Amino acid sequence: MYGGGNIFEATKFDDLQTEDPAKLAEFEARIARGEKIEPTDWMPELYRKQLIRMIEQHAHSEIIGALPEGTWITRAPGFRRKMAQMAKVQDEVGHAQLLYSAAETLGKSREQMLTDLINGKSKYSNVFNYPAFTWADSNIISWLIDAGAIVNQMANAKGSYGPYSRALERICAEEAFHLKYGHDAVVHMATGSPKQREMIQAALNRWWPPIMTFFGPSDKMSTHTETLMRWKVKMASNDECRQQFLDMYVPKIWELGLTVPDPNLKKNQETGQWEFTEPDWDEFKRVINGDGPCNAERLAVRRTAEERGAWVRRALLNPKAKYVRPLA
Amino acid sequence: MLKSLDPRVTRLNLPDGEVPPMEEKPELDQFETYEAFHQKKDGAAHTYVGPVHAPNEDVAFLFAKEQYSRRFPCVGLWIARTENIQVTPYGNDGENVYDMLRIEETAEQIEQPEPYEIFHLKKRGKAHTHAGRVMATSYLNALQEAKQAFGEKSPIVNVWVVKSKDVLQSAEDDKDMWTTVPEKKYREAIAYKVMDKITKYKEERKNTPAQ
Amino acid sequence: MNELAIKDLLYKLADDQLILGHRNSEWTGFGPILEEDIAFSSMAQDKIGHSLAFYTLLHELGEAEPDTVAFTRNANQFHNNQLVELPNGEYDFSLIRHFLYDNAEIIRFEMLSQSSYEPIAKVAMKLKGEVKYHVLHANTWIKNLGTSTEEALIRLQSSLNEALPYALGMFEKSTYEQELINAGVYAGEEAVKSEWLKRIQAVLEKTELRLPDLKSKEPKLGGRYGEHTEHLQPLLDEMAEVFKIDPTAEW
Repeated sequence: MYGGGNIFEATKFDDLQTEDPAKLAEFEARIARGEKIEPTDWMPELYRKQLIRMIEQHAHSEIIGALPEGTWITRAPGFRRKMAQMAKVQDEVGHAQLLYSAAETLGKSREQMLTDLINGKSKYSNVFNYPAFTWADSNIISWLIDAGAIVNQMANAKGSYGPYSRALERICAEEAFHLKYGHDAVVHMATGSPKQREMIQAALNRWWPPIMTFFGPSDKMSTHTETLMRWKVKMASNDECRQQFLDMYVPKIWELGLTVPDPNLKKNQETGQWEFTEPDWDEFKRVINGDGPCNAERLAVRRTAEERGAWVRRALLNPKAKYVRPLA
Repeated sequence: MLKSLDPRVTRLNLPDGEVPPMEEKPELDQFETYEAFHQKKDGAAHTYVGPVHAPNEDVAFLFAKEQYSRRFPCVGLWIARTENIQVTPYGNDGENVYDMLRIEETAEQIEQPEPYEIFHLKKRGKAHTHAGRVMATSYLNALQEAKQAFGEKSPIVNVWVVKSKDVLQSAEDDKDMWTTVPEKKYREAIAYKVMDKITKYKEERKNTPAQ
Repeated sequence: MNELAIKDLLYKLADDQLILGHRNSEWTGFGPILEEDIAFSSMAQDKIGHSLAFYTLLHELGEAEPDTVAFTRNANQFHNNQLVELPNGEYDFSLIRHFLYDNAEIIRFEMLSQSSYEPIAKVAMKLKGEVKYHVLHANTWIKNLGTSTEEALIRLQSSLNEALPYALGMFEKSTYEQELINAGVYAGEEAVKSEWLKRIQAVLEKTELRLPDLKSKEPKLGGRYGEHTEHLQPLLDEMAEVFKIDPTAEW
């Protein structure tokens, strides 16, 4: 579950002039032909760095994303929901595993990535810093956050890096279950008892503002962004993703008689674009920099899991073990 | 203590408030890696599904089984330590990497031949698939033998070579561990059909006078 | 065949797996390494799935819907053994419990797949392969950790000592024990227990762990008759928190 927002800012743009022009030309020609880049191919440092950054943040978003819905894993009502909620949260952990592995092929170890996550050096999707107050919040996350993630991930699956594409293909297939499961749960709530309707509307009200920031602020177009698009690292702009998401899901929310808590939300029939109240980007920045309702808890839980598992890992470590990067 | 909305977290008794940064994880904290290949049905070639971090191949098997075969039909799983797999350079799409490799004849063959497993990648971005087994005296010799045996099936953009003894293969009578996988519909999109409920809801709304 | 005897057996089977599956699901996202987190969750899901299969058989025998049975009873109406309801503790305890429980479970499934009572035989036959993986998982872990560091050995041995009396409670006999044996439904708890001891001993012998002297351990009984530790009712309250907002609602 990842929206892609806020990853391309703040990276220092290495000068491509330091790269070997012949190799760079060959690399770019390969991407232009529609071929994937594989781990042992030559690649510009900027490409490697940006991909590590992006895939790593994506992986962190999965492992931290397991926590808001995990909040309700022991309380899911009925067998159908209980088993699916377990499977869904499990998938998020599984996605993290796949993505950390893809990032490892580029040269950053899982140990380093987990350290950076826990020490706050590396970000994850900001929405997971918000709490899941009720079961209905969990349903909204399963449906709409995953829906947003699919928009982003479908685009990125067409990107140029082989291991990331392979991981995303598997992830997208599993997200199809998340989306349907989430929709199913929301539909049951929205068409259920007055209490259930009230719960789901309240959850939608709470989650709508974070959802609108899920894809990140509008991209500032720069030569940097253009390069990343040419290299098929960045596949769609944040605004394109947001528009696509609104196009696909606002009608599905409305058909359930639910109210989207934004009086300005409407589709401009002339431009075909959705108009909405500009999200509170100051809050977004504040939260992503650590001052959100759940930042401390999310990292503390992850850290505790790592620390309480340390004796297990120490015990099993084979002294002859030798780390080599995964192959693909 | 940290009180959470998640009762599981509350039970962890975490300190509430500032904590010093975590020490950097030591090397190999997450173990080494193993590569997994699954077999979708009897007779199908084993296909690469991805790596797992594990302390040894037995545990890697346990891990890969759930990470890579908890969905969709599967009848078998192979595990190989990443370190034990030798990899050729990648060719361009459409090419045959065997034609680009200079696989020189080894002058004398001292070693006894042993079996090697050969995996081919047909197109960049796809997954390596088992091409077959060859008898050889070294990795390089295995590549020569593989070129002879399966090298014509162009395009082949990349080859993986691993000694058969370094591949942990699930046994025939392990198949029953996967038999119920296709029945676990609760984790498939197909189990969730809501159109009827939505249609019924819309009908009811239409028939209710506006407030 | 006495239907009460069959129902009693089904409740034991279903309740054990529901409660253990629930406990194991608490680890999701908190496991010692991502891959193990995933594997442990799969097994937890399987356990819940198995309980559902047995509650469904009960429903066919006239008991309430599985959701109602699972989410609305109180602790004193549950027939699970006390081992499964204990809190997870650290990973050593959860693993030891998994090892002790699943090595008994596979024997039950093997026996029940030959049962004269066909509905149970069919379910056990179908689900046996899943339990086989659970046992492989448990035994592999115990063999690996049981030959590792002193730290791990101390943890595991102490969890084993603590869990064993509760594990012996798994074999508490039902009121209908002899009836079930005579009718060929399964060979009974005594038979499960002696086979279980052989199997866990065989694994423990490959480790530095020692099975405590059974004579020194008083089995924790009562679970099969609705007597539970203080931990079960809070577990059930938590599990049913949302369900009980409106038990008639479709969630």
